[in-house]
Amino acid sequence: MTFERDARTALADGQLRGALRQATTLFGERRRAALATVPDWEGARDRARAIKDETLEHLDRYLEEFAANAERAGACVHWARDAAAACDIIGGIAERRGARTVVKSKSMASEEIHLNAALARRGIEAVETDLGEYIVQLAGETPSHIVVPAIHKTKAQIAALFADKLGIAPSDDVATLAAAARDALRRRFAEADLGISGVNFAVAETGTILILENEGNARMTTSLPHTHVALMGIEKVIPRFADLDVFLQLLPRSGTGQVLTAYQSLITGTKRRAEDEGPEELHIVLLDNGRSRMLASRVTRQALACIRCGACLNACPVYRQIGGHAYGSVYPGPIGAVLSPQLFGLARSAALPYASSLCGACRDVCPVKIDIPALLLHLRAQVVAEGVAVGKGHLRERLAFWIYTAVMVRPRLFAWLMRAVRSLRIMPPLGAWTKWRDLRPLAPRSFREQWRAGLRDQRGPDA
Amino acid sequence: MRSGDARREILHAIRTNLESSPPDRLSAPASSPPVPLSVPERGDVVKHFTEQLAAVGAQCTTVRSETEAAAALARILADAGARRVVGSDAPLVQRILAAVGNDIVIDRLERLSRDELFACDAGVTTAQWGIADTGTLVLESARERSRLLSLVPPIHVAVLSVRCICESLGDALARLSVASHAITFITGPSRTSDIELTLVVGVHGPQTVHVLLMEGP
Repeated sequence: MTFERDARTALADGQLRGALRQATTLFGERRRAALATVPDWEGARDRARAIKDETLEHLDRYLEEFAANAERAGACVHWARDAAAACDIIGGIAERRGARTVVKSKSMASEEIHLNAALARRGIEAVETDLGEYIVQLAGETPSHIVVPAIHKTKAQIAALFADKLGIAPSDDVATLAAAARDALRRRFAEADLGISGVNFAVAETGTILILENEGNARMTTSLPHTHVALMGIEKVIPRFADLDVFLQLLPRSGTGQVLTAYQSLITGTKRRAEDEGPEELHIVLLDNGRSRMLASRVTRQALACIRCGACLNACPVYRQIGGHAYGSVYPGPIGAVLSPQLFGLARSAALPYASSLCGACRDVCPVKIDIPALLLHLRAQVVAEGVAVGKGHLRERLAFWIYTAVMVRPRLFAWLMRAVRSLRIMPPLGAWTKWRDLRPLAPRSFREQWRAGLRDQRGPDA
Repeated sequence: MRSGDARREILHAIRTNLESSPPDRLSAPASSPPVPLSVPERGDVVKHFTEQLAAVGAQCTTVRSETEAAAALARILADAGARRVVGSDAPLVQRILAAVGNDIVIDRLERLSRDELFACDAGVTTAQWGIADTGTLVLESARERSRLLSLVPPIHVAVLSVRCICESLGDALARLSVASHAITFITGPSRTSDIELTLVVGVHGPQTVHVLLMEGP
């Protein structure tokens, strides 16, 4: 149970909290401005959710349709039951192609299965090419935000890191730092044998995968190496090519507040003629890893509609204070608090469903209207039902409720205790609650005493 | 064979789990509504497109002939100090490049090694479609070899006919065919805000995107 400890560490980090406040506020404002450019935002959300619901209702059929069409276009489709199977498949492809260096564009699924470590065990180096991910990888850390992975680092820290690892002169000019990363990564792109990307949407009707980005590193990753491996969760499929319209309206606006990100790559199989540009082989890895289990309940199934925009992180009053690392999972924030326990087991993430005030801001901004508070309550019920320990507060809480029950079912004990408290004329300190607030003092006489002393005989005017 | 097993297992798990939660309502048809075929004034669409190009940080020059296009291209390259330029295999691009002055080295993509491509200053391609609502260029791999030239050099110049400007993203999607194995949507230059949320343009892809908008026949 490290959530409480890691959250405390994050709360004590003033620089982190400043950066988080700046980023989440900025993305929130940009998102609101971007929504105004869609005439019927609510309608778009409803349509997107209906498409996702329909897909999940028939996920087996749409996955088979997607796989058949992707294979017809020249892709090779692999099915991975869990993380180990996916790592084996991708490691096997890399070894068969003789790859020593792999370039990667951002993929949360690859972090979910700890792909880089699995490749390293085979002696294959995986280089992250998204600028933020590259910084985080050079520093030996993990991303703290879905959209801005290195939000926890200042430019001074990045300058020192680049001076150390890339041998450039220290500079506090952001453009200079970005240019240094561009140069270093261009060499890696030129030598890479294999490119690994994620997938934002997979179209069943055509076998197309779509990848959104701003930097161009995903385009490099998917067009320069001879082999392209695309890793996707099985929930990424959507039925029709025309459905891309509504999702492309929702995702960039919700994520970065852009009307459209700089690049969308729509890839359908492999190149048709030898002289065409692009990889010779395209491997699409379909990852289950706990997702099919979530279909069993209508409540939990909702989380599979997520399009990974990150809007719920920026809106969440808990995430805005503690950032991504405290969640101890590749998926942070409100959506992470519902995904992690379901994907990685309740025992490992039992504290996360409680990392929320249930204020509902996440549900309000979600572009596919996932009822995250309802999911959190569902998971809390599961934590209790399965008796999973939630941390050191748990025992005290049980003791308090045991005492409360013992007193409330014994009227004489209750009356005696309340008389004692009243006669002392003090309220007990209640930890952090009374540190900043006063509790209202108790009335000098209880209602029962007033009732017995004659209140019973006083009649209202209309009696 | 193991892969076939995994496929069966996953599909079986999906079906079993779906059956354990029967639908609580008749699943309504969720198809996207048909894209309304609006017929706006062409002039409005072109104006909207150029405004959106500016909004996303792309440059735009309107030209009325190939000769004008060549002159505009020569100016763009000279202003940027570009020395080595590569054109795609589109005949229009080849004709325009042939008309550009002599003080620029013009390479053909198929003759370049990867290192030489990385050393080029500018790539010239056509774009198959423009999207007015978003200021987006659409490049289809079946039509032209433009995938790397629109990405690797720091300057990308794209020639687009005004007749190929769609109004919305939905209009463009309805016109596209996946006969192209790679379709690329480009909206402005490459960008990142990964360091302290400061915008930097041209991180992996081009720093400059310049559209030559061809009017006329």
